[in-house]
Amino acid sequence: MSRAITAILYAPGTNCHEETAAALERAGLQNELALLGDLLKGEIRLKSYQALVIPGGFSYGDHLGAGRIFATLLGARLRDQLTEFLDSGKPVLGICNGFQVLAEAGILPYRRLGERAMALLANQSARFEDRCVRLLVSQQECLWTRDLAGQILEMPSAHGEGRPLFCDSVSGASPRIVLKYSDENGAPTLHYPENPNGAPDAVAGITDETGLVLGLMPHPERASLPVHESEDGLKLFKNLARWLLA
Amino acid sequence: MAIYSVYVSSRDDAEARHWLAFFRRHGYKDLKGLVIERVYWLEGNLWPERLSPLLANPVYQTTSSQSMLDPSQGPILEIAYRHAVTDPETPSILEAARALGEDGLVFARLSRRYQFCGVTRQNALRIAERFLFNKVVERIREPHELVSTLRPAGEPDPVTTVSLAGMCDQELQALSAARSWYAPLSQMRVIQAHERQIGRPHTDAEIEILAQTWSDHCYHTTWKSLGLLKKLSEATARIAHPLVVSAFKDNAGGIEFYEDWVITIKGETHNFPSSIAPFGGVATKHGGVIRDTLGFGKGAYPIGGTTIMGTLDPAMPENQVPEGALPPQLILSESIRATAYYMNPMGIPMMHAIYRRHPGYAKCLALGHSLGLIPRKYALKDPPQPGDLLLLIGGETGRDGIHGATASSASMTEETLAKESAAVQIGHPITERRFTTAIPALRDQGCIRSITDLGAGGISCGAGEMGAETGVALNLDAVPLKDRSLTAWEILLSESQERMLIAVPAEKLDEAEKLLDRYEVGHAAIGRFTDSHRLEATWRGQKVVDLEMSFLWSACPIDSIPMAEPERKLAPLRIPEAKTAADWSEAVRRVLGHFHCADQSAAGSRFDSTVQGRTIVGPYGGKNHRMPSGFYLSAPLRGRNYGVITTVAFNPLYGEIDPAGMARLMMIEAITKAVVAGADYRELALCDNFYTPRVRPEVAWNLTRMVEAVAGFSEEIGMPFISGKDSSSGTFDSAGVSIEVPPTLAVMAFGRMPDVRRAVTRDFKKPGNKLLLVGRTDSHALGGSVYADTCGQRGERLFDPGDGGNIRRLWDTLLWVHREEGYVSASAIAEGGAFLRLFEAAYGSGLGARVELDSVTEGGRIRKDEILFGEFIGSVLLEVPPPALSLIEEEFIGRVPYEVMGEVTREPRITLAQGGKAIWEEEVSGLAEVWSKPFREALE
Repeated sequence: MSRAITAILYAPGTNCHEETAAALERAGLQNELALLGDLLKGEIRLKSYQALVIPGGFSYGDHLGAGRIFATLLGARLRDQLTEFLDSGKPVLGICNGFQVLAEAGILPYRRLGERAMALLANQSARFEDRCVRLLVSQQECLWTRDLAGQILEMPSAHGEGRPLFCDSVSGASPRIVLKYSDENGAPTLHYPENPNGAPDAVAGITDETGLVLGLMPHPERASLPVHESEDGLKLFKNLARWLLA
Repeated sequence: MAIYSVYVSSRDDAEARHWLAFFRRHGYKDLKGLVIERVYWLEGNLWPERLSPLLANPVYQTTSSQSMLDPSQGPILEIAYRHAVTDPETPSILEAARALGEDGLVFARLSRRYQFCGVTRQNALRIAERFLFNKVVERIREPHELVSTLRPAGEPDPVTTVSLAGMCDQELQALSAARSWYAPLSQMRVIQAHERQIGRPHTDAEIEILAQTWSDHCYHTTWKSLGLLKKLSEATARIAHPLVVSAFKDNAGGIEFYEDWVITIKGETHNFPSSIAPFGGVATKHGGVIRDTLGFGKGAYPIGGTTIMGTLDPAMPENQVPEGALPPQLILSESIRATAYYMNPMGIPMMHAIYRRHPGYAKCLALGHSLGLIPRKYALKDPPQPGDLLLLIGGETGRDGIHGATASSASMTEETLAKESAAVQIGHPITERRFTTAIPALRDQGCIRSITDLGAGGISCGAGEMGAETGVALNLDAVPLKDRSLTAWEILLSESQERMLIAVPAEKLDEAEKLLDRYEVGHAAIGRFTDSHRLEATWRGQKVVDLEMSFLWSACPIDSIPMAEPERKLAPLRIPEAKTAADWSEAVRRVLGHFHCADQSAAGSRFDSTVQGRTIVGPYGGKNHRMPSGFYLSAPLRGRNYGVITTVAFNPLYGEIDPAGMARLMMIEAITKAVVAGADYRELALCDNFYTPRVRPEVAWNLTRMVEAVAGFSEEIGMPFISGKDSSSGTFDSAGVSIEVPPTLAVMAFGRMPDVRRAVTRDFKKPGNKLLLVGRTDSHALGGSVYADTCGQRGERLFDPGDGGNIRRLWDTLLWVHREEGYVSASAIAEGGAFLRLFEAAYGSGLGARVELDSVTEGGRIRKDEILFGEFIGSVLLEVPPPALSLIEEEFIGRVPYEVMGEVTREPRITLAQGGKAIWEEEVSGLAEVWSKPFREALE
């Protein structure tokens, strides 16, 4: 096991932290369940971790907007720690609600803490969608998908608010798309339910300009164990392991 | 203090689009548009602008100090929580505001403004009252309403005494009805006598507690009177199954798993509230049964759930809906929305989502199960000790759910809807999710001596049960309230959701409170266990309750219930046999399109089935994840291949023909579904949920026969029931007629499997493999079938599966063949018969099937349509690779009846052949069209 420790940052309402820990372990990564409250009280500090994963769930009951309260607490109370963490080039992964947190915090798409440039809107169907999806990995440089470009990854997807909307006002910048919902032939698709939320351009996951941060709606941790229908999700965590050990 | 308002509008609002379409479907065709605006009311010394980042994401939302709605576009209604009630979102807003440095914010509220374009204000009000808010806790905010503060306000009524002295029987009954106690005369008399005995009138709180503790819902008076629970638990005791850890004595039942873990099961019905307010009722159905898992032993962890609904036909035109009942289509769609609303945030995978219909379900069936996991050493509670503290954890106590227990025990009338709306509870999954995370931590720290959930009956029931052997003294002033106007008896009876009671050893209180703070779970020590053997409560300096536990728990009179065999109006089936290709096409379409057989994934796909990462076989499988799996399989211990399997049998079409026969068939169906998947029936246990009409002699007869049948059969096959629930209030009185639910029993089989990789799914695996129909087909199997239902008929008898010995022989044989890997796909015959199974297996695999009818109809002795649509419960369809065939036949011959009925084909087509030539065939894709439409359309 790597000595580098990955933090799984969870809050009231998070409900995917345990299986995320199991997936990281399978990838050979030491990890700790870090409670946001302990971080706010200063009982733990981000700097003691080498990577950060924000797992799925309904943090704070999705009150005021999915991921918004979690993101507000991060941006307002942990700004310095988080900035230091990002600036020191440490990897960050946001899964489902974790992606919503990164978007609400401004970390994605443009790595500007406190400046939101995207939203994850309610699915086109206005319903929670529980599906198994196929994700086409783009050529976009990203730590988490190293050497996976062109591959199709199968994993479960389960969310009610996953339709990305990017703000066009940010001059010169455009979101870096890493994962796209695709059909059985591997072609990106807008077709429901292969694209479960009506995401424009079939966007399922994006990274930032450093390629260190990944946010995705589907659940790689649910496709990481030998008993799972697919082990494709493990590839993302193995890439983290490779990077931390290098 | 200053009060500000911030209006938030969204430029892309899927929720508004959803409601607009929904209202138009529900009779408001002239509604042209719907706009939703959120309003945040903020009290304190602050700059509201500084909170904007919290209240809106500028990418799609805009904030303003005035409403952005133009009144000329249509009536606007603002829905807010009642002044005495705390909004669920208030704590979140305050916490986040503090994080932004806005310490000046002292209180916040959220309301929603709906603008209805194209309808009158009256219609807008009708829509809002029916779909958008709950009068118990919410209200319509008057425009320009001025308030001095947002903080909850309200004064409780004083405690009063109620003397029954000198009242005659009619007066007692009238009082019981007027106060919504629903207490029968016999109980009123006992209370009257008790008043004489203690020499003082009871307080209102005391009578409320007695009426509720003795209600059928809490005390199961009907079942006690008929001695039914005893029949089941004694059968279980006699079986003495080595795996059983806890049966019928805790909030759930538990059996041994592996490596010193125990798995638990509980099924709970929530029929009454779900009938009058499906969204609130079904949401709290899930919340309640999950708390039964958390309240097992010293706290089990929920790892799976189900939702099982029985309603009137959702296709029923609104003008045929019984007066006072909600349209079944509304109950169906609202129940689905509620299950998604509650189960998904809880992070508990959906195992089975099943929807059935019957003309008797005017008062719907709303059943949910919860599967749990707990270390062996915590599976049994310790008795609370005098001096232990009574810790109330979770949400605050409100007016919601008052009289839920008594009201749900009564039958339902057209007035109930209006009168008992207070019985409807509001669920907040985030609150329950918080203590779902905290309870295992408390347990592992030794802070829990005993734990129970607060469901029907609230604090008085929970504390009364926990302290029955010792005594308990409550301090009601310590109970955190979300509604300041609650008086003592309301605090005691409130069924506010998301609350649990824990008996904590005094020396552990400090540690427990620290842990709960860390997980941000509300808590309050509201009392102490005593050695007084009394239930005592004080409030505002008064003693408001002082009852002997012995009186509370043993003085309830049990009225004897007469029994009479009902006269069943049954007619033999008269269904013309399908002969021509056209007959077959027509019959197949009727069956695949039947509500019970059709694709229900439009509901199921709204529930998370893979959260927790334990799911091995979810509710839907096969190529495109839309084939119903027929069983759920979980691998609960990470890094281990051990499995928990669950299956459900629930068929409302059998009961009216033969309740006892139905009950046995439900057991056999549930067990066989698990056995074909590869589970050893000797490692399974059962959970029962009965639903019967308000008791009368004929109902008592049916119910008793059902219970005797399942108790007897469970002993015959050596498989115990370990948990369950009965509801004896399935009667809906409307305009002078009583609509009764059919005798209903839903059976869940659950148990362990040593290796999840050995489970066999139902989708076809390889062209050329043989299809075997295994099990007896020598008795008629169309009685109560879907096929008969599509012809508007029921029939006069059910399929006879044979005795326990026969069935065990079939299961043993299947187990042997499974061990030898003799079959590669399998499914148990149920609704829709073998044909539905053939279709599903083909659909899930992209392959097809060819059936040689001569081989299975025993030279015409059995009707062809009966073989394909007959519900031969206990029989199974196996896919066998040719090399394994001889091995299997040797094993089967002389032990179990079987026929090679055909084979798997490469072409995705179903073919029925006779004398070697096809008499009917159709592409699977075409059949899938027929199969996938009806349920989706019922929702639209």
